[in-house]
Amino acid sequence: MPPSPDPRVDELREQLKALGYLDARVDRFVLGGGAKRGRGAALAAAASARLGALAGVLLGPAAAIGLRARVPGLVASGTDAIVLAAYLAIFFGLATMLVSGAAILVGAAIARRSAASPGFPRRARQVAAAAGLLVGLACLVYLSLWWHTATGAGSGSLAWTIAIVLIAVTISLLLGHGVLVTVLAFLARSGLARSLEPGLPLSSWRTTAPLAALSFAGAVALLVAAPGTRLEPAPATLTVVPTNQRVVVVGIDGIDVPTLDRLRRAGRLPQLDRLLAQGVGSLASDPDRDPARVWTTLATGQPPERHGVRSLEARRVPGLEGRLQPGASGWSAITAATDLLRLTRPTIASGETRLIPAFWEVAARAGLRTAVVHWWATWPAPDDSGIVISDRALLRLERGGPQDGEIAPASLYQALQAGWSDRRTRAASEGAAAIAAALPGDLSAAMRRSAELDATLIDLAADPLLGTPDLLVLYLPGLDIAQHALFESQSAGALSPSAAADRLAALEQYYVFLDQSLARFVDAGDRPARRSLGAGGPGEGGRSVILVTQPGRVEHAGAGMVALSGAVAATAQVSASATAVAPTILHALGVPVARDLASGPVLELFTGVFVDAHPLREVASFGARRSYARTGSGAPLDREMIERMRSLGYLR
Amino acid sequence: MTALPAFFAPYQDAINRALERVVPGEPASTNGGAPAVIDAMRYTLLAPSKRVRAVLVMLAADICGNDNRALPAACAVEAVHAASLMLDDLPSMDDAPLRRGRPSAHRQFGEAIAILAAFGLLNNAFGHLSREYDAVLATRLVTLLADAVGLDGLVAGQAEDVLATESMLSFETLERIHRRKTGVLFSASATAGALTAGGSERDIAVLTAYAKNLGLAFQVVDDLLDVTGSSEETGKVTRQDARKTTFVSFSGVEGARALAEELCRTACAALEPFGRRGAHLRELADFVASRRL
Repeated sequence: MPPSPDPRVDELREQLKALGYLDARVDRFVLGGGAKRGRGAALAAAASARLGALAGVLLGPAAAIGLRARVPGLVASGTDAIVLAAYLAIFFGLATMLVSGAAILVGAAIARRSAASPGFPRRARQVAAAAGLLVGLACLVYLSLWWHTATGAGSGSLAWTIAIVLIAVTISLLLGHGVLVTVLAFLARSGLARSLEPGLPLSSWRTTAPLAALSFAGAVALLVAAPGTRLEPAPATLTVVPTNQRVVVVGIDGIDVPTLDRLRRAGRLPQLDRLLAQGVGSLASDPDRDPARVWTTLATGQPPERHGVRSLEARRVPGLEGRLQPGASGWSAITAATDLLRLTRPTIASGETRLIPAFWEVAARAGLRTAVVHWWATWPAPDDSGIVISDRALLRLERGGPQDGEIAPASLYQALQAGWSDRRTRAASEGAAAIAAALPGDLSAAMRRSAELDATLIDLAADPLLGTPDLLVLYLPGLDIAQHALFESQSAGALSPSAAADRLAALEQYYVFLDQSLARFVDAGDRPARRSLGAGGPGEGGRSVILVTQPGRVEHAGAGMVALSGAVAATAQVSASATAVAPTILHALGVPVARDLASGPVLELFTGVFVDAHPLREVASFGARRSYARTGSGAPLDREMIERMRSLGYLR
Repeated sequence: MTALPAFFAPYQDAINRALERVVPGEPASTNGGAPAVIDAMRYTLLAPSKRVRAVLVMLAADICGNDNRALPAACAVEAVHAASLMLDDLPSMDDAPLRRGRPSAHRQFGEAIAILAAFGLLNNAFGHLSREYDAVLATRLVTLLADAVGLDGLVAGQAEDVLATESMLSFETLERIHRRKTGVLFSASATAGALTAGGSERDIAVLTAYAKNLGLAFQVVDDLLDVTGSSEETGKVTRQDARKTTFVSFSGVEGARALAEELCRTACAALEPFGRRGAHLRELADFVASRRL
């Protein structure tokens, strides 16, 4: 309504609004349902429900935006956002209903205590105003803190912050006004109508405008004064200084270092012996040996608190494609309860919950050609990070059908599937040949499946379809699975010495099988490679192999390893942390290392010549991992992944 | 002069015919001065009138889906309104010589007969409701109209108006007087119509918001007509309120006109939940905003 030229009219307009005329839609909405029904309590209940509905509609979408910023991976699509907003609208609606209902009933009860006194009309207005202010203030504080935590102190633009605070003030005033109106309506319905003064307190512009200004200033002050949250710096531009090294990273899960050393000394693992003959960093055992968590730490160079993959098991919320990654210990009881109530269901950790780019994603962003095979939490495969054969790719290749982010680029899927049958046949043959120990039937089958799995993955990694990437990353889970079947499953209870010896022999055979399978990478490492990585690279290039084993296993503590072999590797034995693996790999490729990583590269693993030629270069940060939109939900493979993980001993 | 909306005529005809039955010309029993009282009742009740409140009852019922049962309630509202006019015009109150273009009832029949006729109309209104509706609905309608007449309605409003004639009123007091004298009966009319049609609580809330704004707009326009209209146009003596505080006192003529229009727009906006069904009520609000009689 444009301001009238006569200031008296504006004033009258405000007075009329205060008396319930003109635009009193909020009042009508809030009181409408309870206007004629029952006594005060019924009116309070109906009005609270309507205030809850109002709050749900207003706060649900806002909170969904905030939660999306706080929990990356939870919202994977527009549908997710809508469903999440609906959930939060219900949550905030119920919360507001309860808070408003309590404020209305308590406010009305306080006011009624002075019903017989001459000062009741004034007292009633004061109490109603106080109840409204209290609810409005609580709402404003919450919304301000939400904005603060959602964006980080000072990270939102000034314009956005002003807009959000204005919206927060409006919502808060609206809800506070609703409570105020309802308290007075409650009193009127309780037989005190004639004792009440007409009109509403705090409803003319003369009081509302200063109140809004004060609220705005308070909210801004709160934003400024509240403890800041750490901000993710913008990703730096990455410039590669060519090292002329193609790097192969082989991650072997489940290696038991004493067993490995014993077999090396016996001369049974010549390939692994060559990989471990130069620079070896010992990785201290992680106290929390969840494999998804540890392997993601190895891949990102950041601890779980930063990279976001806190456990193998995540939660799906019905209707949402994204995943919720419970972190704190207290979550287990909550998720158990929500699972029971079917509000959530378990799923496997995925790349959607990872907040930090893995080293292959950094390398791809720097312009290198990369390929990664079967590493933990690589599904869904982004389409801008080189070749990604994710940890769900094998399931998809086995089952066929349209893929849902299992392999990137998508065009590779058809090509791999065309040769899938032959590949499986070859792998089955290799697996059967690998295990010859006398084992019970089920154990023998488990061992063969493990060997077949590793053989398949190695075959995939060596497929010409992957080209000649500057960085090839391969994760092999077979040894860990075999070891679990042999010694950690239910059948491994009380073993006789001979049975134990048979199983140990089978395990040793598996080490030998792995050793032989890795020959193709080790042998190639000795040959000169093409001149690579752009102009300016001095001399002939080569291939470095970096072997990574997990520090600690699900069942046992134990040191891990990062071993560098090839022309650039020094002969050294050092201690390192799991977070040093990713920067070490990047440094070998000539990619600058982010200063905000938890560790720097293990330079002792490199020769002095290499270190002199390639001094450590740093950038501020790799930034956060961006989220990727998917077309599917991944749900069809979720159950199968869970069953597979359970059968492998990862899930209980 | 602004013409009434076309849809008014059939409603007015039906209401006028029904009002004839509320106060029949031939009483069941005659004694003493009763025929004079009946004549006075009919004189005011059946005088030419826009029947805005009665039509509002019918429209409220119609918008709630059924106006077949609304006519007795419309007649009762009109009877209450006529009674209030008779009392309002008395020498002890506004001492108005003209009403609806004719001498007011007390000028025509004498003060005593006018007072009795007003009470007769009130009782006829309540009796009519009790006879025409089932017990539950009749009770609700009688309670509704009794409240509208009573201590938070016409009686209270008229009392405060009489006592406040010589003093400058605050805006809140003026609003309270007009709400009780005019707004409450408008709201009761809308609610009564909805009740006869079985309207929901939500329907009633929406119609109450509509009627509240419309009632005040009606009164603001009344105040305006007292300043700007003529006796020929309004059917009553103008400049009657010169000594009284009115909405025009607070906002001036143009300001009052603007507020009346804004109130009517708000009344129309309140009808949004009814969609196109609210067309007649919107026309009624437009008419109130622009009326010259």
